[in-house]
Amino acid sequence: MSQTLAEKFYYLMKLGREFELRCKEEYLKGNISGFLHLAVGEEAVHVGAVVGFGKGDLFCPYREHVLALARGIDPKLIMAEMFGKVTGVSKGKGGSMHLYEPRLDFYGGNAIVAAHLPHAVGAGYARKLMGEKAGVLCIFGDGATNNGTFFESLNMAALLEVPVLFLCENNQYAIGTHVSRSSYLKDLFLKARDYMPSVQVDGMDVFEVYRAVVRAKEYMEEQGKPYFIEALTYRFEGHSMADKGDYRSPRELEMFRRRDPLELLLKRSLKEGWLTEEQVRLIDQKVERLIEESIEFALNSPEPSEEELYSDLYCGVCSDVIP
Amino acid sequence: MLYREALNLALDHAMEHDHRVVLLGEDVGFYGGNYKVTEGLYAKYGAKRVIDTPIAENSIVGTAIGMAMMGLRPVAEIMTANFSMLAMDQIVNQMPKLRYMSGGKLFLPLVVRMPQGVAKQLAAQHSQSLEHFFASIPGLYVFCASDSIVAYHGLLQAIRMDDPILFLEHVLLYGLDFPFEPLESFDPFRARVLKEGRDVTVVSYLKMTHDVLKVSQWLEEKEGISCEVIDLPSLRPIDFETIYGSVKKTKRLVVVYEAPKTLGLGAEVSTRVSEELFYFLDAPPLRIAGEEVPIPYNRKLELMAIPTPEKIYTQIVQWGRRHGL
Amino acid sequence: MDYEILMPQFSDTMEAGRVARWLKKEGDFVEKGEVIAEIEAEKAVMELQSFKRGLLKRILVGEGQEVPVGRPIALMELGEKLEEFKRPPAPTPEEKKVTPPKEEAPKAVYSEIIQKVELPAGFASPYAKVLAKEMGLELEELQKEGRLPSPAHARDVEGLVRERYFTPRALELLKEYELKPEDLISIFPDRKIDEDMLLAYVEKEGIPRRLPISSVQKSLIFNLSKSSVLPHYHIYEVFDLSQIPWDKDITLTHWLIKIVGDAMQYFERLRAVFKEDYYLLYPHSSIGVAMAVGDELYAPVIKEVNRKGLKEIAQEVRELKRKAEEGRLSLEELQGATLTISNLGMFGIRSFDAVIPYGQVCIMAVGMQDRDGRAHITFTFDHRVVNGFHGALFVKHLKEKVLDKNYIRFLKRG
Repeated sequence: MSQTLAEKFYYLMKLGREFELRCKEEYLKGNISGFLHLAVGEEAVHVGAVVGFGKGDLFCPYREHVLALARGIDPKLIMAEMFGKVTGVSKGKGGSMHLYEPRLDFYGGNAIVAAHLPHAVGAGYARKLMGEKAGVLCIFGDGATNNGTFFESLNMAALLEVPVLFLCENNQYAIGTHVSRSSYLKDLFLKARDYMPSVQVDGMDVFEVYRAVVRAKEYMEEQGKPYFIEALTYRFEGHSMADKGDYRSPRELEMFRRRDPLELLLKRSLKEGWLTEEQVRLIDQKVERLIEESIEFALNSPEPSEEELYSDLYCGVCSDVIP
Repeated sequence: MLYREALNLALDHAMEHDHRVVLLGEDVGFYGGNYKVTEGLYAKYGAKRVIDTPIAENSIVGTAIGMAMMGLRPVAEIMTANFSMLAMDQIVNQMPKLRYMSGGKLFLPLVVRMPQGVAKQLAAQHSQSLEHFFASIPGLYVFCASDSIVAYHGLLQAIRMDDPILFLEHVLLYGLDFPFEPLESFDPFRARVLKEGRDVTVVSYLKMTHDVLKVSQWLEEKEGISCEVIDLPSLRPIDFETIYGSVKKTKRLVVVYEAPKTLGLGAEVSTRVSEELFYFLDAPPLRIAGEEVPIPYNRKLELMAIPTPEKIYTQIVQWGRRHGL
Repeated sequence: MDYEILMPQFSDTMEAGRVARWLKKEGDFVEKGEVIAEIEAEKAVMELQSFKRGLLKRILVGEGQEVPVGRPIALMELGEKLEEFKRPPAPTPEEKKVTPPKEEAPKAVYSEIIQKVELPAGFASPYAKVLAKEMGLELEELQKEGRLPSPAHARDVEGLVRERYFTPRALELLKEYELKPEDLISIFPDRKIDEDMLLAYVEKEGIPRRLPISSVQKSLIFNLSKSSVLPHYHIYEVFDLSQIPWDKDITLTHWLIKIVGDAMQYFERLRAVFKEDYYLLYPHSSIGVAMAVGDELYAPVIKEVNRKGLKEIAQEVRELKRKAEEGRLSLEELQGATLTISNLGMFGIRSFDAVIPYGQVCIMAVGMQDRDGRAHITFTFDHRVVNGFHGALFVKHLKEKVLDKNYIRFLKRG
């Protein structure tokens, strides 16, 4: 069990890490533009949560490349989207912050902090009304927990008994403001404790995130009610490419780098014998190949045609169920 | 049929035939709606499909968006358009953009209903007309109902559509009784020519349409000025074809609306007409609209702040005299 | 729901038609007014235009086939031309995708004005300039000469053009007969059209004249329609008016107003207004006087007749008549009567009856006085207020009063 999981975690986290670092490179080359938010350092939260949650709808914030990859969206389509190409997962109209794949129950990144929380509540309500049990996973950062919509959504989910897993990835910074300077409650999971079961986990340990999410999922499927997890993590890069992240001391950065989730997983897997050096090498090769392919695909894809400017604004169709 | 009964009938009809239709909002269920639009539906369809929500406008619309993404057909009610300001993120950043940003992957069969306009002495925070905010956002459809026929057919069509629709009502219309007939087909995107005329095209919507109809009768009797009265059931998109057709005939355009004149819907309509039909115009387009103030509480001042039939009449006559009518 | 294109009936006698040729094929987008097929019927080939815009979905009747009038010959899917039309990924299988709304793409600029616009100099509205150009008018010159105002509007330019082709009287007639000036200009090219030409044209074509109904007449119609359905009855009686010494200053009508007004004092029901649950009884006698002014009928009111003398009444009636002629009658002067007198005797009418003005209880229709001084008077009473018994007593009282010499003398002295 741990072996298969370790292999899966390592593959997805490595893919996420390498993919994002390559995005950074392509950004600097000018192939990618706009806002690019990297989740380097936060992969354990993203991968652990998506794998642990399994079936169910996913609502993400704008830092969602690793989440999309973990959900199984083809890296080629994501990279093409970053390049603004028509072959991208959102036809080049969304970009880094707006990857959508409803066929994989992936309902996007959202560029407005906390705006997707009510979406998750509505989605959960709809699923429950239609008799489905899977529930909804909704991920957001520490900054979102200070927003009014956050509390509206907790209240609404608890009140209407909607199975939503609220997962707060506390990377400790809302752009440049440390959580201690933005939130009165320092432990963010306390904000939800009066509404629903609420726990705090080490977000650098993918197994711990995974286990917490699996427990939450079981609770939700049984009770049909919401659940809250705060995962403590850290981002190694700036908020976006426009942010150098120099408001943090080198010592602080170094301290967290020593707990790099990918390194922790690798060391432990090798030590426990869940992975062999050979397996790791093969995974690394596969990841490298996938990324090369995605770059090639994105580079060779066409720009959207001029008609695309007006398409997809309205679907222009009408149901005839109601006579 | 009362305007609010027509809305209720549309909701009832939709809920009866499509189990995916749900209602949500403040007081829509047990209480029956603050303007009694949803009366009786809670008892008929139960608390799961007629959902009472907390006072959390942003989340009401946001929740409805989530529901719509999953294939329900939610109809959210915001108690008045004034409170929709609290939901502007969902209405402006989310509703109209999700489909486009997803490259057409998401469907949002969603209706957000809200009444607006000056009622009687409700003061500045309960009297606004905000249609120009919403109508300026690509990706939204903005419908508005000026009578029971549009209330019923427009709302029903809005629920049928797979796109997000903002549906505007007017507080003063709820209790009014309008002639009603079920139509074979109704196109909410088509402007309605309520009265044909020769000399002036008057474009309006919601409550002002009724004031304009009254004024057009006075103008006809007292001044011999014949107005063609056009009512807009859709403010985005606006059916400019019908307006152009009419102005090409009358050579004159007046737009009447309740919101302050500056940057209102009249600015858009008259500019488009000037752009497209400059050489057909025998007079500059005229906007008759609200004053540039918040709506005051005092009744006298309140009536000074918005167009009234008397003001519409006088302004059209004076403008007509100045411009060769 | 698809729209059915039916075999049209081009003439009263046509029963069936043959599709000679389809000009559109299945899948074509059809604009409103576009010719879609040629139909052969009664040895003639006629064009079939589309009344709708949309997609020609299916052709049901092939070329050469004949079908009866009213039978569907093709199906159309109505709506706008949209690329979106074709791509509906259905979220649920039971749904059919219909009625796409309009797209937001920019609209085409009107083709007729896309060419470079060259307009005459002068100060005028855009449309007036376009008109002036079309009519070949030198706008600026005409404004300098004072023949056109500045700024000029369409109406001024059109007026000037019409002056060229029509005499002033002919212009008035154009309006009355609702004729389009262009039509007449095309019938009588190169000639100034006068009244005679126009009337000859109207007579030849049998065109009706349009007579607008005045607002006074409209309210009269409205009130008469309400009155005529109320329960009422008539009393016909011949009055001996030989004792009344009327002349041109104080006419028979003035006398009757005074005598009737005094009589009303004895009959409170004649001073009543019906109010559903009760009668409102006025202390004084107020009488409406029907008078024709131009084509209009007015019935201004003489208030408190019982307190006024004959001369005063005569003067007041004349004053009200003058006001009516000048259109200055106030609402106050038209309200408050419970009885109205209408006298058509001066036209030689022997007897007639009248409709009670709405809200009043009686109208007296006075006919011509014969040589012996007798006249027919018809009373119409509102039965809800004045029963036959009251009516009969009132008429009887009046009959006695007009013969009461002392009373008449008393009135004459003032």
